[in-house]
Amino acid sequence: MPRTPVVFVVDDDPSVRSSLKFLISTVGLEVETFESAETALQELSPEAPGCLVLDVRLRGLSGLDLQGELAARNCQVPIVFITGHGDIPMTVRAMKAGAVEFLTKPFRDQDLLDAIRTALQRDSARREHENEMRELQQRFDLLTSREREVVSLVAAGKLNKQIADQLGTAENTIKVHRSRAMEKLRADSLPDLVRMIEKLKEFSHAG
Amino acid sequence: MSSGSTSRAHIPLENSITEAGASLESILCTPELQRRPSRPPDYEKERRALVALMSALADSPTTIFETLAETILDITQCDSAGLSLLTRDGKKPDACGKRFYWPAIAGMWNPHIGGGTPRDFGPCGDVLDQNRTLLFRHFERRYPYLRPVVPAAEECLLVPFYVAGEAVGTIWAIMHNDSRKFDAEDDRVMASLGKFASSAYQALVHIEDLTFQIAEREKAEAEVRKLAKGLEAKVRRLVDANVVGIVMWNVEGAITEANEAFLQMVQYSREDLAHGRVRWPDLTPPKWRDSDERALAELRATGIFQAFEKEFFRKDGGRVPVLLGGALFEANGKEGVAFVLDLTEQKRAQERLQETQQTLYTTQVELARVSRLTAMGELTASIAHEVNQPLTAITNNGNACLRLLANHNLDPGVLREALDEIVADGTRASAVISRIRAFIKKTPAQKSLLHINDVIQEVLDLAAHEIQENKILVERQFTHSSTLVLADRVQLQQVLLNLIMNAIEAMTAVTNRARVLCVQSVIDKCSDVLVAVRDSGIGISADRDRFFTPFFTTKANGMGMGLPITRSLIEGHGGRLWAEPNSPNGAVFSFTLPVASGVAHA
Repeated sequence: MPRTPVVFVVDDDPSVRSSLKFLISTVGLEVETFESAETALQELSPEAPGCLVLDVRLRGLSGLDLQGELAARNCQVPIVFITGHGDIPMTVRAMKAGAVEFLTKPFRDQDLLDAIRTALQRDSARREHENEMRELQQRFDLLTSREREVVSLVAAGKLNKQIADQLGTAENTIKVHRSRAMEKLRADSLPDLVRMIEKLKEFSHAG
Repeated sequence: MSSGSTSRAHIPLENSITEAGASLESILCTPELQRRPSRPPDYEKERRALVALMSALADSPTTIFETLAETILDITQCDSAGLSLLTRDGKKPDACGKRFYWPAIAGMWNPHIGGGTPRDFGPCGDVLDQNRTLLFRHFERRYPYLRPVVPAAEECLLVPFYVAGEAVGTIWAIMHNDSRKFDAEDDRVMASLGKFASSAYQALVHIEDLTFQIAEREKAEAEVRKLAKGLEAKVRRLVDANVVGIVMWNVEGAITEANEAFLQMVQYSREDLAHGRVRWPDLTPPKWRDSDERALAELRATGIFQAFEKEFFRKDGGRVPVLLGGALFEANGKEGVAFVLDLTEQKRAQERLQETQQTLYTTQVELARVSRLTAMGELTASIAHEVNQPLTAITNNGNACLRLLANHNLDPGVLREALDEIVADGTRASAVISRIRAFIKKTPAQKSLLHINDVIQEVLDLAAHEIQENKILVERQFTHSSTLVLADRVQLQQVLLNLIMNAIEAMTAVTNRARVLCVQSVIDKCSDVLVAVRDSGIGISADRDRFFTPFFTTKANGMGMGLPITRSLIEGHGGRLWAEPNSPNGAVFSFTLPVASGVAHA
C-alpha cells in the first residue's frame, strides 16, 4: 500500500510556518514543517512521497542551497519556492534547477495550493514510473544470457532466421528462446516486448 | 753773505724768516715815484702791448701770464718782471692762500719760476695788506729768505692783482742795479697792466671754467651715450628675441613698431605695420574698450599702466587673449612702449582644468544621487521583507478560515486559533513600522544652520538626471530672505528628494500638457520657512491625509512608506507637512520649518 504524500514546509518564520500548515491542511493534505534547511535535510528521505514548500531566505543554508544539496543526494522531491523578495536571477536559477513554481509573498492561496498539487502529481508520477521500471528490471533479471541476447536482437528488428544465422543455431531454437523470454517479461505481443526493452535501455542509461 | 747764498737757496724760505732785520718802512720808497723825473708815456707801445696781450688771451690763454711778464719787461725796460698768485695748492688763485706762487717770470729772474714768498711776511703780502702800489728797495734786507734769489733786487715795483674783486696776487717789475729808477710813468703803466691782467685772468678763469664744464658735460654725455647704447642693445635683444610681443605705440592709436612675436600673435604682416594698418583701437574688441580707457587714464596719471588681461582681434577676426603692460617714453608724452604676452596656452590650460573640475563635480553629484537612491531602495527592500512575513501569515490564515467556512467545516477552536494568529501578526506588522519610524527618528540628527535655497538646489542637482530624462521643466521661486533653518542636511535632502521624486513620478503619465516642477521657498505668516513642491501631474484624491498613512500608495510598485517617513522627518524638525491639489493640475506638497533665529541667539 502506497504511503500518504506529505507537504514539507521549510520557513524560518514561525507565523508563516504555522499559517502555511493551516492553509495546506484545509485541502486535506498532510503537512510537516521545518524551521531550517538543515533540519529538513536530516528528516527528508528519498523514499518519502510528497513535495517541498521552501522559503528562499533562511537562516543558515538558504532555500537554493537546500535545493542543490537534495539534488546531490538524488532526492528528487518537487519544490515550490516562496520568497518575500524575489528577483529575476534568483527565480531563473531556481526554475532551471527544476523548481515547480516560484511564488512571491504574500501570494494568493489558490496559487500556492495549485503549485502544491502540481508538485505532488509530479512526485507520484515519478514514483509510479520508477516502480514500474523496478518491476520490469526484476523480470528482466530472470532471463538467461541466451534469452537476453535473443530479445535484444529481436528489439533491433531482426527476423528469427537472421538471428539463428547470426548465433549459429536453428530458427526453431530461437523461437523457443523468444517465447520463454516473452513469458518471463509478461509481454503480450512483439511490439510490447520491443517497448519494454527500449524502456529498460533508457532507464539503465538514465540511472 | 753772497758766499753762502747757493747753499741756502735749497733751504725752505720760511726757515729764514726769524733772521728778519730791517723794518718795512726802511725798505719802502713809494713816494719817490712822484718826485723822480718821469719819462713821457709811449701810448703807441702801450697799445701794441695790450693788443699782444689780447691776442695771446684769444689764441693761447694758458700762456697769458708769460706774455704779461714779458710785456711788463718790454714796456718798463726793467730787468725782471713777473706775477705772484696767492694759492692754496700752487695752482688756482685763492684769497685765503698761505703762499704766493710765481707762475711766470721774464728777464733775469726767469730761472726762479715756481718759487714764491709767504703770505704774511713778504713784499707781495705788504702790497695786499695796504691794497696799493708799493716800491721796495732791497727788500731782502727785511725778508732775508730773498737773499739767495739772485741777482738781488735794487728796486721792485709791485701792484695788486684782483680776481672777482678780491686781491689775490701782484704783478711786479725789478731793477737789479740803480742805472734806471722807476718813476710815475712806470707806476701808471703797471697799474694799467694790473687792471688788464685782472680782467684777462678773470676771462681766463671763465674760459677754464667753461672748458671744464664743457669737458664735464661732454664726459657726462659720453657716459649717457654709452649707457644708452648698452641699454639700446639690451632692449633690441629683448625685442628681437621675440619671447614676448613688443610694440611702440602712440596715444592716437597707431602702432609704429612691433616685433615678430607681436605680429604673429595678431597675424598681421610687417607690410601691414608699415602701412599703418595695425592700430590698437581696431585690434581691441568692444568688450575690452573700457579696460583700454582705464589703462590710458593710468598712463596720463603715472606714465605707466599696470599689466592687465584683454583680447586682441587677429587679422582673421579670431581673438587672442593677452597680457598687456607698458609705459610712456616721457611723462605727458604721446608715445610709449608695451609688452604683449600671448595667454592662449594659459587660457587653454585653465579651461581644461575647469572642465576637469566640472566633470569631477558632475561625477560627485551623480555618485551622491545614486548612493542616495540606493540607500532608499535598500530601506524599501528591508521594509518589504520585514512586513511581508506577517502579511503572508495573515493572508494564509484568513484564506484557510475562508476555505473551511465554505466547506462548513470551521471548528470554533480552529477559528479562534487562526484569529489569534492573525491579530498577533497584524500587531507584529505595525510594530515593524513603528520600529522603522523610531529608527529614523533615533538616527542622531546632525543639525546645522542651513539656507533652505542651498538645500533645494542640491536636491535639484541630485534629481537632475530624472528631471532631464522625464523632460520636466523646473521653476525655482526662491525667497530672497537670508533666513536660516537649523536642520539635518541629509534628512532635509531626503524630504525634498522624496517630494521631488514623487512629483516627477506623478508627471510621467502626463503627455497632454507641460510637465512643470515648481519649487518655492517663502517666509510665511508665522515667519516660518515654507517650502512648496508643485507638480502638474495626475493630482491627488480628496482624501489627502491618507497619503501619510503607512502602506497607502497610488503607485504600482510603491510601498506607501515614503510620505509617512517624510512627514515624521519634518515633524522631528518641529515643522508640518501637508498636501493640496495644485491649480489647474497636479499636487502641491508643502512643509514648514521654524526659522533658526531663536537658536542662533541662544
